[in-house]
Amino acid sequence: MRKKTFPVIAASFGIALAACGSSSTSSSSSGSSGTSASNLPAAPAQITVGTTYSGSGSFATSSLPELAGLKFWIKTENAKGGVYVGGYKKRIPLKLIAYNDLSSATTAATLYNQLLTQDKVNIFVSDFGSVLTAPAVSLAQAHKVVLFDQTGTGIPFFTPQNKYIVLTDLPESSIWPNVLAKFLISKQIKNLAVLYGTNDFDASQATTLKSILSQNGINVAYYQGVPSSTTSYGTLLQTISASKPDAVLEFGYAANDTPFLQNVQSSGMHFKMVFTVFPGQLLSLFQQQVGTAGLAYTYTYGTNFYVNYPTVSEGLNSSQFKTQFAAAFPGQLNSLSLDGYNTGLVIQASLKNAKSLSQTDIRAGAAAASGHLNTLNGNFVINSEGAQTGELLPVAQLFPSSSGITLKAVYPASQATGSAVYPAPVG
Amino acid sequence: MPKLDDLDLTLETGSKGKKLISPAIAALVPIVAFAVGVHLYSNELLLTYMAIYIALAQGINIIYGFTGYLPFGYFGFFGVGAYASGLVMLDYNVPPVLAVIIGGVAGALVGAILLPLFRLRGAYFAIGTLAASEAIYTIISNPSLQSITNGPYGLNLAGFYSSGTAYGTAIALAALSILATSFVRSSKFGLTLKAIRDDSYSASMAGVNVPRQRFYAWLIAAAIAGMAGSVFGWSTSVFYPQAVFDPALSVLAIVFALFGGVGTIWGPTIGTVVLYAIYNAIGVSNPQYFQLIYGMVIVLLVLFAPRGLAGFWNYITTKITTVRAKND
Repeated sequence: MRKKTFPVIAASFGIALAACGSSSTSSSSSGSSGTSASNLPAAPAQITVGTTYSGSGSFATSSLPELAGLKFWIKTENAKGGVYVGGYKKRIPLKLIAYNDLSSATTAATLYNQLLTQDKVNIFVSDFGSVLTAPAVSLAQAHKVVLFDQTGTGIPFFTPQNKYIVLTDLPESSIWPNVLAKFLISKQIKNLAVLYGTNDFDASQATTLKSILSQNGINVAYYQGVPSSTTSYGTLLQTISASKPDAVLEFGYAANDTPFLQNVQSSGMHFKMVFTVFPGQLLSLFQQQVGTAGLAYTYTYGTNFYVNYPTVSEGLNSSQFKTQFAAAFPGQLNSLSLDGYNTGLVIQASLKNAKSLSQTDIRAGAAAASGHLNTLNGNFVINSEGAQTGELLPVAQLFPSSSGITLKAVYPASQATGSAVYPAPVG
Repeated sequence: MPKLDDLDLTLETGSKGKKLISPAIAALVPIVAFAVGVHLYSNELLLTYMAIYIALAQGINIIYGFTGYLPFGYFGFFGVGAYASGLVMLDYNVPPVLAVIIGGVAGALVGAILLPLFRLRGAYFAIGTLAASEAIYTIISNPSLQSITNGPYGLNLAGFYSSGTAYGTAIALAALSILATSFVRSSKFGLTLKAIRDDSYSASMAGVNVPRQRFYAWLIAAAIAGMAGSVFGWSTSVFYPQAVFDPALSVLAIVFALFGGVGTIWGPTIGTVVLYAIYNAIGVSNPQYFQLIYGMVIVLLVLFAPRGLAGFWNYITTKITTVRAKND
């Protein structure tokens, strides 16, 4: 019996592998090769935009406004009859397919594949952040579909081998702190403390910053990575305080920045400069959770939400967007909703330049837009690997005001809307 | 007191022929179903993950169903496997299928290192494994180890990506895990494990080397999780440490195993297929109600089928037998 059973099992493994081998990856319905004007297929009745979002979990507060921004772009374009596709010289209506990944990378992966293999979407957009974008990268590459990566700034995504990714709304994470480093140098800060989450997004910023500052003779007296799940900073702050830094920089996600700022306030310690990443992106949320006193005179990245871009080459300008979006999606206006809308504008520019709806032509359309597209998020520039090198983030400071907290860009001078107060006043 | 070697296991579990046919069918059905399924439903990654979860649920079945030790930190072996296989692929250009086996060995090695956790029991053991897995995650994602593990920056295996081969390997792993469970269930080894689960002191008095037998079961479960993590990493291709050291992996695997019925061959497989299918069906069709519906489904199942589908099936068959006996 044993002799009969095991050959059957072995044969079955063989059948399974053979069956699976033939089912490798299939391309999207929109095809992957470039199209010349003479053999342009008929225009589809609609263009499907597929994405996932985090309806709950740790990324929900960032993902939901980003989705709202994308929805707003679709609504705006459909009101005009659809998005303009250069190859067809006409507008085609947009349809959104969005699945809830619950902030889980595993769930996101299967839903991304659902969008590619079942829904066969024309435009493939990833969820917020690097963790949830990661599973989409190789799927997009394997299916030869362009991934419009909204805010997944992780370094591993951008390689010379991957021609199917475009980072739309933020610079690659390793170049985020370039402006911040220049600001610290300009303030002649000599002794620094850096605390960062041990994840790709935060660690890459800390590494870049340390490297630039070391080259300029600035001492990073305290440099410590902590797990991304850290929410208690009392002991760490004691150690930081002992190093007597001129500036304390904490690179974390929103769930880290909030307790960090709360702990600084409750400890009664005073630092000349405190920098955190997310208040500039989720200011109203931080105002609720940390309060005016805890945020006053701290620094953050001044996302383009707080920079006024009156003249744009595509879409609404800053003030138009804020007015119209707030009316359409009350309570969801922040820098991430602007990012979601900006994703739409990059897609729009790519389609305007595209000769057809083939993925190769859409990717070529994005490359053609690079350097020429000015939106409410700044100048869109991507390198050959699809990584964003434009839209640099200014340094901003949070000032107490009659309405609570006001964010003003303080560096560089070209984007400044206020002057930095350094050192921060006591009390 | 009879020694285990004196027991006639054939009498307890049926004839030798039946002992071999039953596991063969249990392994063959999913192989054929997955091989055919991908031609009917082309979301291959979803099916790959389903096969991976079958393997994980079977691993939980071996360690919990047969020894009574519930490892909440089971995801630690999964993450170790994903990293071990990913690193040997990237650093030594090892073929992916061989790397999957190496991932299994790495999982077993970590299992051996964590053996002292068996000094704990019940909830303490569950929490101990959770803490150990979190510690492994923190070590692997530590920026100081970037030259070895790439720290928090994750791994990019895009150069090795092959969805079809990864799918086939996931199916083979699911079948292998079912065969492993079958072996455990029908062997003297399985009988000793059940004895340990029911009363380890009495088992020890009967001549069972409790630590050794438990250690073997632990290694098998850890190796399965390591291989499952390897296939996951390979099929996902670009991943961060938090994606493969995710406690939700343990939670889902435990829920799937319990729902199907632990201590059985078919239970974890059926539990995974049914619940994972519902999980994804709701996620695609009604994403806004996902957690509400899925939570309600699990609550109802726990209320009305506390021993899982296997227990429910036994209840039905017993009822039918009783009714027939009365009628006769």
